[in-house]
This record gives sequence, structure tokens and C-alpha cells, in this order.
Amino acid sequence: MRAVRRISVFLAVVLLVGLGAGGGATQEKPRYGGVLTWFDYGDPGRLDVHAESPLVVQQATAGIWSGLLHWDPDDPAKITGDLAERWRASPDGKTYTFELRKGVKWHDGQPFSAADVKATFDRILNPEFKSPKCGASLKPMVASLEVLDRYTVRFRLKAPVVSFLGAIASAWCRVAAKHVLEKYGDLDRPEAQIGTGPFKFKRYERGNLIEWEKNRDYFVPGLPYLDGVKQYILVGAPTQLAAAKVGRVMLWDTWPPMRKTQVAELARARGNEIDTYQWPVNAIYAIYMNVQKPPFSNPDLRRAVNLAVDRQELVEKALEGAGVPCAILDPKLVGDFALPFEEVAKIAGCRQPKDQDIAEAKRLVEKHYPNGIDVEFAVRAVGNYLDRAQLLVGQLTRIGIRGTIKSYESAAGYAAFGKGDFTLIATQDRGMNSTDPGDVFHLVYTTEAGSNYARWSDPKVDDLAARALRESNRERRKQLYWELQRHILSDAPGAVAVGWVEGWFFRDKRVINYKPAKTAYDNNTFMKVSLRE
Amino acid sequence: MRALASSLRCFGARQPLGAVGAAIVAVLVATAVFAPALAPHGPKEAVFTPYLAPSPEFPFGTDHLGRDQLSRVIWGARLSLYVGLVSVVFGVTLGGLWGVVTGYFGGAADNASQRIVDVLMALPPIILALSLMAALGQSMNNVVLALAILLAPTAARTLRALALSIKESPFVEAARAVGCSHWRVIVLHVLPNTLAAYIVLLTVNIAYAIVVEASLSFLGLGAPPDEPSWGAMLNAGAQAIEAAPWMFLFPGLAISLTVLGLNLVGDAIRDLTDPRLRGGLG
Repeated sequence: MRAVRRISVFLAVVLLVGLGAGGGATQEKPRYGGVLTWFDYGDPGRLDVHAESPLVVQQATAGIWSGLLHWDPDDPAKITGDLAERWRASPDGKTYTFELRKGVKWHDGQPFSAADVKATFDRILNPEFKSPKCGASLKPMVASLEVLDRYTVRFRLKAPVVSFLGAIASAWCRVAAKHVLEKYGDLDRPEAQIGTGPFKFKRYERGNLIEWEKNRDYFVPGLPYLDGVKQYILVGAPTQLAAAKVGRVMLWDTWPPMRKTQVAELARARGNEIDTYQWPVNAIYAIYMNVQKPPFSNPDLRRAVNLAVDRQELVEKALEGAGVPCAILDPKLVGDFALPFEEVAKIAGCRQPKDQDIAEAKRLVEKHYPNGIDVEFAVRAVGNYLDRAQLLVGQLTRIGIRGTIKSYESAAGYAAFGKGDFTLIATQDRGMNSTDPGDVFHLVYTTEAGSNYARWSDPKVDDLAARALRESNRERRKQLYWELQRHILSDAPGAVAVGWVEGWFFRDKRVINYKPAKTAYDNNTFMKVSLRE
Repeated sequence: MRALASSLRCFGARQPLGAVGAAIVAVLVATAVFAPALAPHGPKEAVFTPYLAPSPEFPFGTDHLGRDQLSRVIWGARLSLYVGLVSVVFGVTLGGLWGVVTGYFGGAADNASQRIVDVLMALPPIILALSLMAALGQSMNNVVLALAILLAPTAARTLRALALSIKESPFVEAARAVGCSHWRVIVLHVLPNTLAAYIVLLTVNIAYAIVVEASLSFLGLGAPPDEPSWGAMLNAGAQAIEAAPWMFLFPGLAISLTVLGLNLVGDAIRDLTDPRLRGGLG
């Protein structure tokens, strides 16, 4: 009996050792050195991560900064500490206290402290300061921020908000140095990119290249593995695809996603050197009408566009079917907070066939413009926006809105949209800061939303969005979001939701330990990424 | 009518390649003029299935947005011809007048104007065109304007050289001797003698203008995005070159054939107007 027990123990040990060895084999040991190559779809222009909203700004600066929290690079669905070592919520959920890491240095050698956190969030939360991403998320939540000591800060919320930690962990809520903000006034210029992140900002050649180099004083010991990251600014899909085909870029993980035809072409060119995958971008594809200018100051005209836009055709042709048409919330991302698609598909504007809605839209246009109307369709010349704009011109021509396309360079387009210098934006994807269902409303639809380019203000939307944000009961929260979606889909909104964007991406097999995040903005610091020989 | 037919036969016999070019250009012009009747569908109608391969229903296939490629190539002829003709007439005429007048009068103004020509000609043409389009903004008329600015210096330099030689001719001296004013001499004696060179410049540069417009559109700075420009079609085709090669092939063929036809006609006209070649010495 004893012999049997000894043999059993021996076999168990052998099995455990064997399993351990096998497990170790799947976790490839990271290697130090090498430069990761990547691309930005456009030139960022201004680099202020608090004041800007284009993805290219986030990409250009992601590795430079750290946040209080961030989405775990090893498990992008989980929030983990970054500059904050520990945090706790008060029992009533109205205050959050963050204990900060000690011994962290800015890239210029200055010590990091709670004063930097205070300066950062005072800036972001300042009502006079336009912060379309972090500010748009936090302003409805946060009442004040106080410094308790050199390494402790406390946020006081206006009400308990379940999505607060997710908002703080956003890649847009990065902590900047107080002395840098005082010196430069903003974070627009390359010389102001002094963060605490795994990489230092090395070079920015306008329209050509952005380069980071390893931060050897990074506060996480042993990281990063890479010597640096090079981002080529590649405008235009043929150039981006060509760079991927010849191996000049190692990663295609953000916006614009590849189309099915492109990924097939890439797979043929690179064979088993790459992994390709389909992934939601967590971005809403919307059409914006300026409600402060004719003709879209007239709700009838907005309603006409809302009825006439054929979302299914746009998703089928512009996204080659990779998207969720009509959705204001994507069920793949937020589950049952999204209005059931069976209901969405019956709402006027979304239902198929479109004949009845187009006839009504035409009637609404003719009521005010019997001979139709000419409208300029503004669009940024990035991704496949020009294709989408052409499709929209065709769709709206059917109801008497004749479009001419005016294209903008990426940053110039954002500047024009921000100033309200447009009549209709033919297409603009807006990435979410997190997977919280409230994000889209606070980024696009409420009066104070960071990307409310349409300048639409609807008290019912503001009220429902604010109530849903503060609602802690999941079922009641869901009902509030459903009501919001129904209202927006059937009203005359400033932004028409075409749908949610998905697409195809690739990763070079030389890249180790890169995991795509839930949003296009997160997990782009490459702090734990390494390269094979 | 009989005289015209006889002239054409004579042209065909003396310049067979020119006749081929003229036939291509004639087809181009007819396509451009009758585009609304010839095109089976609207060039902007994105109502078909994307990426359909060429078939009897869609001889040139459909593009990535589900538009009929044949209709777009046909309408593209109209756009190319418009841009080519208008920009060349505008640019070569103004540039030619600038060169003839400053060359005839000479002096400091001529010197200064030639330095401006030097500067404009020193810039790579496509860079100059891109810069102008970036500054002017994207529209058909701005494409025409940018191309005219691009073409004017060459015309000015060429016709100025001719004017310098003509103004020393005995018939110009005779005209001056009988009291003709400078402007009368320019209008009645210098300009008519530059006409042959002017016509050659026109024919040669139309092809050039069409290629530059296609290049600008390919780079996204030419015709507005929804206009059926051959260059923009090439750009769209380049994004699906393996999946849908017809998107690239047909606009590419249209550009090549048009440029070939115009160049053949230009060469023939040059040969016919060159006294050395006219006599069979070339």
C-alpha cells in the first residue's frame, strides 16, 4: 500500500513538473531590444492628449504617459493600477481615494507627486477647458479633487457612478506634469511630451514619422522590453497596405481597420508571418448635421436625413459588412444595454425596405425646398471616409438633398468641425473611451458631449443620460439607456447613428505579448511588448 | 465635304500614325460629348453589387461601391477632356502671350519675367501642382487653374524664343519702317508666325494635362472625390488590385490610349508644320 502511495506521489510530481514545463513553453520569454514599427493614419498636428480627440494623437503619445489606472496590458478587460498603487471607494460610492507610487520620475528627472495629479485633473475638469475625451467623460461625474498628502489624492463625485474607475483608466486621462503645464501652457508641442510612461518622446517629423525611445527610468522594473517604437504617418489605404505587405509595419491594430479584400491580399503576401483577426473597433459611425445652421436647424430636414440614410447599405458597402447597422449601442460590446435589434430594425429609418421612409423624407424636404437643396458634405480625407461620403451623396440625392463633397486633411477637418464650420459631416467615427454604455451619449449626444459637433441640445437626452450615469441598479440603468436609444433613433437628432464599426487587423508574429484592447485607444503603450529575434 | 475627305485621306497617307491618333482622339471626343447617351448607368449610382467582375451586363465590372465601371470610364472621358482642353487653352494662350510680348519688347521687364519663368520651371511639376491644389482647394475649376499655371511657363519660354527670332526678321523691320506701332506689329506679324508652334504646344500639352489631372486625382487632390475621374478610379483600383483588377485596368487603359492618341496627333502636327520635315528631310 505504501509502495502504491509512493508511486502515486511520484507520478503526481512528474505530472505537475510536466504541466509546468508545458505551461512555460506557451509563455514565451520576452526579449530585450528591437524597435516596433507601427503606423498612424494621419498627421496628429497638435499632441495635447487632454485637449484633442483624434486617435492619431492618442497613438502618437500613448507610450509617453501613464494614468492613475489603466486597462491591464495582460488582460485588457481588467482595470489595474498605473501611477496609483492602491485605491478605494467610500461606502456611499461618492469618494475615491488613490494612493500614488513613490519614487516615480518624469522624463526630465523631476519627481512625480500628487500635485501633478491635481494640476492634471483641475485642467481637464475646468469648465472653460475643452477636453473632448477625458473631460467629456469625467465632467458629469466629478465634483472636486483634493490632495490629501504628497502621495494621496481624493476625487469627490457628484453622485455614485459605477463607471468612474473605467473613465479614469481611459487612455485619454493621462497624468501630466504640473511644471510642464506651467512652462508650456498646454501639451501641444513635442517638447511638452514629458511623461512618466515606458517611452520618451524622441522625434516628430510632420507628415512622416513619430519616434519614441526606451525610458530607462521607467517605474516598473524591467520594462519596457523594446528599445523604441517608430510610427510612420501613412495616409491612404494603398500606402498602409503596401507597408504591411512588405513588413514595414508590424502591427495594424487600430483605426482604420482593413477591409475583407485587403486582409485577404495581405494574407496572401505575408503567409504565415502574420496573424489576422476580426475585431470591433468600439467606434460609432455617425453623420452630423449642424443644427445651428440652415437647412439642418430645421428639425424636418434632420428627420428627413434620419429617415433616408440606408444604414444597411452603408455598412454593407463601406465596411464590407463588418459592422452593426443602426445601433446606437453595440450589443457585442455592452450586451443587453443595447436596444434589442429586433426592435431597432422596426424603427423608421432603420427598417427595410426603405421605400416608405424615403417617400416621407422626400415629402419633408419638398415641404421646405420644393426644388431640392444643395448642401456641402464635409469629410476628413482619412480611412475610407471619401467612399462613405460618396455613398451618402447618392442616398440623399434621392430625397432632394444634393451633396458636393468638401474634403479636409485630418487635423484641419477636426478644427473645422470643432468650430462648427460645416453644414453636414458625411461621416465620422467616434471611438469610445471605455465599454461603458454611457460613453456614447456623453461623447456624441448630450449638450456638453465632447464630440457633439452638431451642437444638438435635447433636454430629454441630457436628463436620461445623467440619470442613467448615476443609476446603480443595473436593470433600471438598462431601461434608461433603452429609452434614450428609442428617443434618439426616432427623433430628429443632430447625429445620425449609421452603426458600429468592425474590421480586420493583423499582427506580425515577431510581436510578442500584444493583446488588442476593448477600445482603439487603450493598450497602445507597448510597455510589455517585445520582439522575437 | 469632298475637299475635307480628300484632306483627311492626304493626312492619313502622309501621317498614318497621326491618323490612328486622330481616330483615337475622335472616339474620345465623341465619348465625352455623348456620355449621357452612351453610359448605361449614372456614374455616381452606387446601386449594384460591389466588385462584380466584367460580364455582359457590366462589361467593365463594378467598383468597390457598386458603381458601373463602364459608365464611370465614359463620364471620365468628359472630365479629362474638359480639364485637358480648358487648362491647356488657358495656360498655353496666356503663357504664350506673356512670352511673345516680353520677348518682343525685351529689356528689364523681359529679364524679370524670364526669372519668374526660371523659378516656376525649376519646381518639379507635380510638386507645384500639388502645392497649388493644397492652397486653392479641391474643385474642377481649381484643377484647371493649377494646370494652367503649370503649363504657362513652358509656353512663355518657347514662344518668347520664337518671338525673339521673328522680331529680327526683314518683314518686321519693314513694318516698323512704314510706321506700324509695336502692338500692331505684334498682333499682325509676330503672333501669326507663332501659330504653328502654338498649335503644337496645344496638342502636346493636352495629353500632359490629362496625365497630371489623373495624377492629382490619384493622390486625392484633383477632381472632387465623387466625380468620375480616371485618376481617382485608378486610386480606388489600387486598393483592390488583386481582388478586382478590372477597377485598375480600364481607367488605366483609358488614360494610356488617350495619351497615346493625343501624342500621335501632336507628333503628326509637329511634323506637318516643321518645314524641314515637311520636305521629307527629317
